[in-house]
Amino acid sequence: MKVRRLTSRYLGPRSLAASGSLLLLASCATNAPQDTWQPKGPNAKMIDDLQQPVFAVAGIIGIIVAACVGFAIWRYKDRGQPIPEQTHGKPALEVSLTVIPALILAVVGVFTFRAIFDLARTDDTQLVINVTGQQWWWEYDYPVQNEWGITQPIISSGQLVLPIGTKVLLRETSRDVIHSYWIPALNGKRDAVPGRVHTLRLQADAPGIYAGQCTEFCGLSHANMRMEAVALSDADFAKWVANQQAAYQAPAEGTLAKEGESVFLNQCVRCHQVSGLKRADGSLAIAAPDENVWSGAAPNLTKLMTRNTFAGAMFNLLRDACRDDVWRAESAAFGEKYLGGVDESCLNVNDLRAWLRNAPEVKPMYANPALLTDTNGKYRGMPNLGLSESDIDKLVAYLLTLK
Amino acid sequence: MAIIERPTPVLDIPALPAAPPAITPSRTFGALKRPVASTGWKSWLFTVDHKKIGLMYGATALFFFIVGGLEAVLIRLQLAAPEGKVLNADLYNQMFTMHATTMVFLFVMPMAAGFANYFIPLQIGARDVAFPRINAFGFWCFLGGGIVINLAWFLGGAADGGWFMYAPNSGPVFSPSNGIDFWALGLQIAGIASLTGAINLIVTVLNMRAPGMSLMKMPVFTWLVTVVQFLLLFAIPVITVALFLLTFQRSFGAQFFDVAAGADPLLWQHLFWIFGHPEVYVLILPSFGIVSEVLPVFSRKPLFGYPFVVFSGAAIGFVGWGVWAHHMFASGLGPVSVAVFSVATMAIAVPTGVKIINWTLTMWGGKLVFSTAMKFAVGLILLFTIGGLSGVTHSVAPSDTQQTDTYYIVAHFHYVLFGGSVFGLFAGFYYWWPKMFGKLLNERLGSLNFWFMVIGMNLTFGPMHILGLQGQPRRMYQWTEARAGEGFFNIAFWNLVASIGSLVLTLGILFFLINIVVTARSKVRAPLDPWNARSLEWMTSNPPKEHNFDSIPKVEHLDEFFHRKYEEDPVTHTMRGVATAEQVLAELERNADPHIHMPSPSYWPLVLAVGLPVIALGVIYSTMVAIVGGFIVLYAIYGWALEPATAVASDFDTPSTNGHAVSTTHG
Repeated sequence: MKVRRLTSRYLGPRSLAASGSLLLLASCATNAPQDTWQPKGPNAKMIDDLQQPVFAVAGIIGIIVAACVGFAIWRYKDRGQPIPEQTHGKPALEVSLTVIPALILAVVGVFTFRAIFDLARTDDTQLVINVTGQQWWWEYDYPVQNEWGITQPIISSGQLVLPIGTKVLLRETSRDVIHSYWIPALNGKRDAVPGRVHTLRLQADAPGIYAGQCTEFCGLSHANMRMEAVALSDADFAKWVANQQAAYQAPAEGTLAKEGESVFLNQCVRCHQVSGLKRADGSLAIAAPDENVWSGAAPNLTKLMTRNTFAGAMFNLLRDACRDDVWRAESAAFGEKYLGGVDESCLNVNDLRAWLRNAPEVKPMYANPALLTDTNGKYRGMPNLGLSESDIDKLVAYLLTLK
Repeated sequence: MAIIERPTPVLDIPALPAAPPAITPSRTFGALKRPVASTGWKSWLFTVDHKKIGLMYGATALFFFIVGGLEAVLIRLQLAAPEGKVLNADLYNQMFTMHATTMVFLFVMPMAAGFANYFIPLQIGARDVAFPRINAFGFWCFLGGGIVINLAWFLGGAADGGWFMYAPNSGPVFSPSNGIDFWALGLQIAGIASLTGAINLIVTVLNMRAPGMSLMKMPVFTWLVTVVQFLLLFAIPVITVALFLLTFQRSFGAQFFDVAAGADPLLWQHLFWIFGHPEVYVLILPSFGIVSEVLPVFSRKPLFGYPFVVFSGAAIGFVGWGVWAHHMFASGLGPVSVAVFSVATMAIAVPTGVKIINWTLTMWGGKLVFSTAMKFAVGLILLFTIGGLSGVTHSVAPSDTQQTDTYYIVAHFHYVLFGGSVFGLFAGFYYWWPKMFGKLLNERLGSLNFWFMVIGMNLTFGPMHILGLQGQPRRMYQWTEARAGEGFFNIAFWNLVASIGSLVLTLGILFFLINIVVTARSKVRAPLDPWNARSLEWMTSNPPKEHNFDSIPKVEHLDEFFHRKYEEDPVTHTMRGVATAEQVLAELERNADPHIHMPSPSYWPLVLAVGLPVIALGVIYSTMVAIVGGFIVLYAIYGWALEPATAVASDFDTPSTNGHAVSTTHG
């Protein structure tokens, strides 16, 4: 890994010398999930290539100014010298010291211009994913794109899955307030604004998981609105696409999971869609989140256990050891591990049960009925459903079948 | 318009006594007689004296500084460790919203307004501002606005949408408490203070300068504050409109920002930042002015490149209007807008850099005296430079899309606003304290104050550069260990450092408060000219008499006071003293004006200002209350309009005693 460039602003000019020895330590910052100086794709790389020289020049100028002020303090301290001549300035010096920074900035401006337009390109897109923010999770909607094997729309949440080396275009919008989509390793951020569609280019060089976070203040659980972008090789991406479109497999009769399915049909399906799920009478179960939730949407739980997170990526579906196993896998082995999904041995059952037991208790949401008059009785976020422990047992067993 | 200075009481005044006889100063329209108290609390409540108003601005702003500081400490305590439990999410959102609102609108702006009120008339050789009653009205509006904004803490929760209050998150659905209503109406009232103050100070500076003081002989503090008043004059109406839209949206069901009704939420962002970016210069330029006074005094040299500092200040005042969208680089404006605002933002770095260069060259070749005021001024140069340079890194728009809404931005603007604005204000405290109170702040405590603040501020805000570049977003009530990373730059360590730093910073502020108390209890009076100062405000007693100057000095030089004390040796070009400050003052007293007319106190500014919060509460709770408030306002306007601008002869100040030397304890 490259040694990080440490500019004067980090620790103030005076400690710069001391901090030099820390440069070695700096290079040891391995696991820094949201580091903006470790680009993992060409868009982020373009930004990094632009900003590193600017940081360096800014650092040098900072040191020069500090040195000049420091010199003046030392040299012209009152040691009993007479009151100096009352000079009012030297216009030639002033003008040149004005022009030099202006020229430096002009050069920076040229490169900035180019990068702004390059990063705004949409004409070379290879894969489109619609991204919709709402309080406090992201929905990922893959429109039909036959060349990628996407023959019916795939709707997911929690993790954005994309093929490596591919120019992906996110088309962002929001269903309630303004959110901002940001995966630092792949690109800068772009706001998701209700009523507007904004585009953001993403491209990952290597398979792996890239972390990000909502960066536009969006209310109570803004801090808990996280995202993860999962980059897979083309072959693995094709497998993922195929599995997402695979038909619904109902649990076997007589199992705990089958009982969970009926709890799901009684409670959860009011908001959460599972594609292909049928009611006891054989009719398709259609969720109606627009009748219950202010944003009009709740995460689609089809193939839930192919994802690693839930509740807006606030919680992991994998327990820590299994999660580390996936996150730290070598590039070549990553795809297979990720596609393995979540099984009973790896399920983070504590957080999932706590969530099912009383969601607003573990994630701040405006679920207080007293505050629902302004929203015509609709919830903002998942309410406490008052499920019994045995219902939770059944639901967990059922959710584990959604793979 | 009040005529506040009249050597001979003739002119065309007879027109006013010809008004209906029922309205005389002793029998004002309505129930209220004209107040006459010149001591005690009534003399403060009904004063129109720019110095008393300035002090009231300062004292109130200092109170809000402590409030905003405590809010900041709570924020840092919450973020010291992962999954902080000091505040819950709701309270945290209120805390950061109110911290910013308090510091911007209730501390830095009114503190700068306090200095401007107190020192601009003194610096330009005037006896008061152009509109003394409007000046008093402005202060009471600021106080009323501040109270309304903070009242929400006790009435269901403070505003929780961030100081930028982006729509639609600021709508009634997404923020159901009344906090944002109090916020919008309180800021509206405080905005009246800024707007009336701007008009008042602009008229004062343009019309009431001492004879001979051309614009280019005006002290730099006055210059830069005047630029600020022009910024306020045009920026406040924009936020006024925005706040009206917000209030109507929340209280009366309007749909200006309702996406379902076809609104575009970016409208609010544009309105807010068209106000908000000039506001940034409103916050920083007064402090630039203060250090531009302090550095020459303690370098014993004129400001290097005075015209460059003045014109770069004016340039900032113009270009400052063309950079607002750099707050919106991630908002999805499209590449053309982003490119234009990116380049405009780089351009504004140039006049700002000019100031750094000029301050450094002012010190160059000087005779530097490191009083506490000077330490804060030099601190500003270094800290603001860091903030300015990090600012340049996000003028590069693509780079900004990585940095915006992270702690890197928090670091940047705290270096600019704390290292810049606040350090400038502290330089002003130490420099002007003897002028305002006749006593010098303790320099030993001042030194502790300075060093704890410098170290605390760098410990608090320095690590935030790292946190931001490591991807920690702003406005998160908690951060999680899982995303903290490992190694030297892990955010867990640096969050803890920042939190410890905030406590060091708090100690620094505490030393300042102790210093105020120690100084107030001290019996030692400050000498007349403790700093060997250069400008007109020092050509009067400490503190100044109510009428400021016994005779208005004729100005021949920039740094008039200095040039009355020193002459250049034609051979060596060094300066030699020709008169002491006492001698310069005695000269002014010898020529004292025989008849000095000062404006009389009035009830109406306070009565009018009391009506506004009543209306605000009425808008939130009950229309009837708003109507009562409206009647108070109408009554006050009526009484004010019929109150004569000039009081009867008995209200005139007695002329000062002629020809006597001014003692240093003259108060």
